[in-house]
Amino acid sequence: MYDALALATLVATGALAVFGLVLVALNRPPGRELKIAVGAVVALLAVQAAIGAVRAFGVSLPEQSTFLIYLAVSVCVLPIATQFAYAEPTRWGGAVVAVGAVATLVAVVRLQGLWVPSG
Amino acid sequence: MAEARATATGVGRVLVAVYGIFALSATARAAVQIAGKFGNAPLAYLLSALAGVVYILATIGLAGTRPWARPLAWGAVVFELTGVLVVGTLTVLDAGDFPDDTVWSFYGRGYGFVPLVLPLVGLWWLHRTRAR
Repeated sequence: MYDALALATLVATGALAVFGLVLVALNRPPGRELKIAVGAVVALLAVQAAIGAVRAFGVSLPEQSTFLIYLAVSVCVLPIATQFAYAEPTRWGGAVVAVGAVATLVAVVRLQGLWVPSG
Repeated sequence: MAEARATATGVGRVLVAVYGIFALSATARAAVQIAGKFGNAPLAYLLSALAGVVYILATIGLAGTRPWARPLAWGAVVFELTGVLVVGTLTVLDAGDFPDDTVWSFYGRGYGFVPLVLPLVGLWWLHRTRAR
């Protein structure tokens, strides 16, 4: 884990949540812009997960398996939430993406807490 | 008499999404706890697993449109509310019974009290979309 990358993902997921909620407030179904934003955020998360997974095998963490599960969760939640959001194009789609973004944000915060390498 | 509305449409989709995330996190947490350190606090870990199953059933019930989906959702959400109230109260009175946290400990404090609010929203939504 790198602090700068984690910070970037936290800002990105936070901004994505705000984006989704703004669409709800404007009463607009989620469109192409939100999908592109989700793609960018997931790409960032995937980079973080790849680096995190490689580094996790090189060190000893107190809760290694939990760390790896959180890494997987941090990447998978947003694509699934987005799929679900776009299956019914109403204003609430933005809120579904926002829920996924917040859950991902929490997962990244937990990842930071679990990254206590030794050896 | 109007038909019951599907629970997974409109704002209900947001509810299904939140339930889905809790189903995932509670189940994964219980799996890690039970696989890794079951002896430490078997009661708490079994309770975590039970909570995970309840969230899964609630998610299926709320997302589904089959005739059994609504009763399933009602049952799971009522169980969930009871669970968070009972476990929350027990942990406030005597934390010693649950040496390791569960989703419902201290009324879901570790999860921003979402586990306490979620069943209330669920009940409201099931009531609003009922047949009448």
